Amino acid sequence: MSTAKAAHPKLQHHFVSMEQQFDASKFGMWLFLVTEILLFSGMFVAYTVYRVWHPEVFEALSTALDWRLGGVNTLVLLASSFTVALSIHHIQNDNQRAMVINILLTILFAGVFMFIKYLEYSGKFSHGVFPGEAYAPFGDHYGHYADVPYAPQFFSIYFVMTGIHGVHVLIGMGVFAWIAIKGSQGLFSSEYYTPVELTGLYWHLVDIIWIFLFPLLYLI
Amino acid sequence: MSVATATPQATSGKTTYLNHDKSIRSWLLTLDHKRIGLLYLSTIVVVFLAAGILALLVRIELLAPGRTIVDAQTYNQFFSLHGILMVFLVIVPSVPAILGNFIMPLHIGAIDVAFPRLNLASYYIFMVGGVLVVIAMVVGQIDTGWTFYTPYSSRLGAPVIFMTLAVFIAGFSSILTGMNFIVTIHKMRAPGLTWNRLPLFVWSIYATSIVQVLATPVIGITMLLLLLEKTLGIGIFDPAMGGDPILFQHFFWFYSHPAVYIMILPAFGIISELMGVFSRQEVMGYKFVALSSVAIAFLGFLVWGHHMFVSGQSTVSSVVFSLITYLIGIPTGVKVINWVGTMYKGSVSLKTPMLYALSFLFLFTIGGLTGVMLGVLGVDVHLHDTYFVVAHFHYVMMGGTIVALIGGLYYWWPKITGKLYNETLGRIGCLLVFVGFNTTFFTQFVLGSQGMPRRYYDYAEKYADLHALSTYGSWILAVGLFVALYTFIQSLMRGAPAPANPWGGASLEWTHTTSPPSPHNFEEQPIVTHGPYDYHHFYAGDGQSVEAELASRSEA
Amino acid sequence: MAHAEHAHHITPFRTLLGVFLGLVFLTILTVTTSRLDLGVLDVPVALAIALGKAALVVVFFMALKWDNRVNGVVLALGVLFVSIFLVFTLFDTAFRGDTSNVDEVTIKDAEAELAAPAGDADHGESAPAADH
Repeated sequence: MSTAKAAHPKLQHHFVSMEQQFDASKFGMWLFLVTEILLFSGMFVAYTVYRVWHPEVFEALSTALDWRLGGVNTLVLLASSFTVALSIHHIQNDNQRAMVINILLTILFAGVFMFIKYLEYSGKFSHGVFPGEAYAPFGDHYGHYADVPYAPQFFSIYFVMTGIHGVHVLIGMGVFAWIAIKGSQGLFSSEYYTPVELTGLYWHLVDIIWIFLFPLLYLI
Repeated sequence: MSVATATPQATSGKTTYLNHDKSIRSWLLTLDHKRIGLLYLSTIVVVFLAAGILALLVRIELLAPGRTIVDAQTYNQFFSLHGILMVFLVIVPSVPAILGNFIMPLHIGAIDVAFPRLNLASYYIFMVGGVLVVIAMVVGQIDTGWTFYTPYSSRLGAPVIFMTLAVFIAGFSSILTGMNFIVTIHKMRAPGLTWNRLPLFVWSIYATSIVQVLATPVIGITMLLLLLEKTLGIGIFDPAMGGDPILFQHFFWFYSHPAVYIMILPAFGIISELMGVFSRQEVMGYKFVALSSVAIAFLGFLVWGHHMFVSGQSTVSSVVFSLITYLIGIPTGVKVINWVGTMYKGSVSLKTPMLYALSFLFLFTIGGLTGVMLGVLGVDVHLHDTYFVVAHFHYVMMGGTIVALIGGLYYWWPKITGKLYNETLGRIGCLLVFVGFNTTFFTQFVLGSQGMPRRYYDYAEKYADLHALSTYGSWILAVGLFVALYTFIQSLMRGAPAPANPWGGASLEWTHTTSPPSPHNFEEQPIVTHGPYDYHHFYAGDGQSVEAELASRSEA
Repeated sequence: MAHAEHAHHITPFRTLLGVFLGLVFLTILTVTTSRLDLGVLDVPVALAIALGKAALVVVFFMALKWDNRVNGVVLALGVLFVSIFLVFTLFDTAFRGDTSNVDEVTIKDAEAELAAPAGDADHGESAPAADH
């Protein structure tokens, strides 16, 4: 790190002040979030196109997904967003301990989310509901979807959208774990908490994407 | 900082970004935007040579009807690889990654880009993309063309997996560079450098970066879905599984049409700089030129369907896309008129960079106008997938972007290397490129309008003469490019040392730093007090006024 | 420099809690409304509630309300271009195979032409040959 003469140990040499550095990082993060939005937009467009073509299929198949599990997951993810917002609130007030606790809670909620996701996926796989060509449902709950036209498309879209969303959750958990470690070592303060702020923004976006996925896939 | 301890080793005694630390490690792990620009330059030149040789092979195969040197399968691979390499690894990154990296921070008076480490990461991500392309070439045959249309691509073997991954990853590099540049231009400008004083090159890089950030993620998800289509058969694009192949084309062109502007907008920026400096006049209609870049960037998103007029998309969307396509002609026309107007009554000096700029003006105008023709719904049905289209986009991509890039390299070469080049050789190279290019591709307009389809291995006897002429042209073009390459190498070996401001430019990279620049660009923070083209307010780096320098140069 | 640091807005705990409770309420609301059969309103209602939730997260959790305006512009750009992507794709997919631009008479003529030889296949095929 090239910081010998800087005012704050985290100030990089090409920035004039911590403020400029923070603003630049945050602006960069917002741009990154927009690229994430456009990445997901491809899947939302595919969803919309197929839904406009086959509304009855999508309506019928949304009942194949358990709205209770989806609903709980929504609440869990909202709670994790709340704890992230709290952790930033605390670090801005120089309360490092409360920040770390809230980050740990976030990781916990994210873990619960992924566990429920795992239950949902394994429930489907065990009934032959796979994405794509492997789609061959059987059993009580899924068997009667076997011959529904465009049902494979619905489940493909479901798996792809929730799958890529799930990957984002996992990445977020990893980064939060790093923040929790660094935070407990006292790296962050009200002077410097850029990584917490940026990861928080990312996490809220992941939350927002789920906010749309939940009704589109499970409810309507 | 390692800079402070390094001993200056240059014969000139100056510490520059080139000589402050000469170890290979210091190059490969550099965070300096200038060195990263040079890393891109060396990589892109190698890829350009490889893809150029493929193009020559394609042309040789087409020298005469029937088999000339390779079989049809190999031919298909040649043109596919030529397209993929040129588009994704050369033209898309070229100007922003090379000159954008090197010049833009200098233009805005910054020490570096906003995120230097991210900048280096972009380069290595780009390299990973390049390596995947090589793997894809090794493991099998890619003959999809650069467009990867489904269902053919999703049914092809393993190489498509590597190739789509390569495009996905190279796209990431493009996104990160774009983000980095937008933040840099917003947050790192020198005091006094208002938006109205930004050099037009910076404006064009800014517009390009916006397009990169907004469009590239879509090619990412497209390639990902294609990958899943190929591996899992998710049935979104493949009609055999109930999918819609035209949807793939929408996804693909939502990126790839704006990508055309990623390729050409930075070239516009270079031309604006060259026109100003070598006409010794303020660029006419500064605001119009600046904002037309942004307008093109925006409109570029609304026209992708004009690639799909004969795909079977609905008539409604064809009409909408066709109409909006005409609109792009307006901001583009604004630029061309302003460039011509800049030269009017200026003292135009026909140095090599200016010759390239004039070539650009000529070639791009042809490329642009034929683009309007192709945007006409009825005409396109006739010309679609013919050599007319091939000629059109080569006039824009090669005659536009690559010609502007070479012009820009000549222009900034003294700044980048600290060496002057041989003006005569440079001019000969430019002339050969211009003649060769037109011979190669103007004939293709004729071929196309006569109905010669693109990508075909064989053709009817009546096309033979024009095809042969086109191939001869490609040889002249190749000689021209090698002359240009030789000029650069010769300059590196034996070029005379360059003064800080050999052209009498008025933007910061000429007026406020040495050639080559010091590791931190500027000795002290530049304060900007006027615009980038106010030549008469500025004095050249060696203590001479612009007029005096011009006079001394005309004597020489 | 250090003083500038404190200029960052600190969202009060009560605001954050209120937003969270609002989000929980809207989640329950969207589940409830989807259980009732609203017919054609099903989709718009669900989307409206989702948009409301997203807005709450963006404005308060992501603190866009107190942030530099440029970040909001960036987000708006993203949303705008997603809409462009969606709407222009739907221009095609929603009207695929639509022939409304072709004169109705032309279509009927074409249909009649197609129908006529269908009755007499041999004649239909041999007719062009006879012409030449």
